[in-house]
Amino acid sequence: MADVRVEVFNRGFASPVVLASGPAGFGLELERELDLSSVGALTAKTITLEPRPGNPQPRLVDCPCGALNSIGLENPGVDRFADEAMPRIAALPIRLFVSVAATSPDELATLLDRLRGVQAIDAIELNLSCPNVNGGVIGDDPREVRAFTRVCVQGTGRPVLVKLPGDAGNHIEAAEAALAAGAAGLTLINTLRGLRIDRAHGRPFLYREIGGLSGPAILPVALARVYEARRAFPDAVIVGTGGICDVGGMLEMLFAGANLVGIGFAVMADPELPQRLGEELSAWLDEHGFDNVTQVTGIAHRGGFDVR
Amino acid sequence: MTTTTEANDAATRDGSRFFWHGTVLRHRQVSERYARVLLEGPKLPTHIAAGQFVLLRAQEDPCLPRAFSVLTTSIYGIELFVKSEGRVREKLSASPFETVFEVRGPYGQPYISKINPRCQYVLVGGGSGCTPLIHFAEQHPDLVAETVYGFRTGDAGRLLPGVPILAESEEDVTAAERAAELWKPGLGILACGPEPMLRLLAQRYRRQPDVYVSLEARIGCGIGACLGCSISTTSGPQRVCRDGPLFALEELPWLM
Repeated sequence: MADVRVEVFNRGFASPVVLASGPAGFGLELERELDLSSVGALTAKTITLEPRPGNPQPRLVDCPCGALNSIGLENPGVDRFADEAMPRIAALPIRLFVSVAATSPDELATLLDRLRGVQAIDAIELNLSCPNVNGGVIGDDPREVRAFTRVCVQGTGRPVLVKLPGDAGNHIEAAEAALAAGAAGLTLINTLRGLRIDRAHGRPFLYREIGGLSGPAILPVALARVYEARRAFPDAVIVGTGGICDVGGMLEMLFAGANLVGIGFAVMADPELPQRLGEELSAWLDEHGFDNVTQVTGIAHRGGFDVR
Repeated sequence: MTTTTEANDAATRDGSRFFWHGTVLRHRQVSERYARVLLEGPKLPTHIAAGQFVLLRAQEDPCLPRAFSVLTTSIYGIELFVKSEGRVREKLSASPFETVFEVRGPYGQPYISKINPRCQYVLVGGGSGCTPLIHFAEQHPDLVAETVYGFRTGDAGRLLPGVPILAESEEDVTAAERAAELWKPGLGILACGPEPMLRLLAQRYRRQPDVYVSLEARIGCGIGACLGCSISTTSGPQRVCRDGPLFALEELPWLM
């Protein structure tokens, strides 16, 4: 069987599949649904310094090819996360990325300080792209990206992935700022800002009105951002996230240059999918004469491959 | 301390959950807006506790699954009561026998695990919110004092033979008003239906004990991970899909 294991940050991952921040929560509920040891990594839902109750209902509405969400970074705050959730998360048989967000570099430094003694975290994902909180999207401004990333890199001894928006318009500039400030890699992309209006009442569906679009509708956008970033930054680690719902979408993301592939919306629709994706990827590689997944990573930049 | 959620999880951790590709065995349009749909499959459980729900998604449909309360279970499968709107519902109604559905569950806490079992209840349902209450009455008849199943029009009366339906427009009385006529001190209330109905009941019975409401929210994952259905309660955020759908009224000050 073809080898789907990958090595990133000098660590081995069981497969390129990463449970994206958000839909998988802290991974504890998913333990019942699938064999986590077959999945590359879990990204724990974004943690903030103080607890956040999240946004009022409605938080979720269907779209023609996906869903619009407005969770609003609901989380118990870093202290409860570290004391109560982490011991259980650390026992899960899966690599762990922890997503963090803050409203200022100082707040971020304090948050990271509280995580300093916590074991079992393989990388920090700096969420600069949540569309569902007040104060704007930090990832829209490359200067802010640089400032937050610098503090994050200094505040943790772990590799830092910076999660950027897919709809900012200056994504290469923002990615460059993150990498120049010491980020080990990029997570591309977050949900795209979108709106749905209830036709029966003429009002936005979501309490916060604008939400984040996820699901198969955003796959082409995510692919474009990853493809452009890989071309611009050949050596950066890229976690390609957005709209992947089957092995076909995952292959495209790998071909575009992603080292790891995030699954978000599709975990909500089918919690077993992350496990099956690894198995189906291995079968596809076998069928097409590849020995391991790294042979196809970024292959779209190398002229692709002939039909095998 | 073991929470209700954890205790019920432990009870179902033995593989009694299912993820299954199934088809519609029987589809009965019982009114202009509602249909009864019987799903069949080799791995379906023959027992689902009242209050729990299943998630349905048409295979290959690029959307999130939809939650449906269970009307009843039998050796033939799981019967649902489906309102004819929304994507999954359209597929259930328009081409039910040709569509393969992904079905998973059961999820949510059984009503019986969250209520005072030493009390008798007035069951108050509105529209498709009647479904889990009818299921509850079937499983726990000794806990049911009265039932009020309200629908806008009387054509849902064919829902179940022998189940009395309140046609709100024809009788010019709402389910909440009829419940007030039937309720007396000592009885509890178990309600499921549209939020305006729940608000009316909440305002009227907020000082009474043993009042419970079953909440609806757009559910994402169904397993308590995504927090799409999280609501505010007196004990902090709670998930409708995992900690509910039933909550004691006193936990929900925003409803009163």
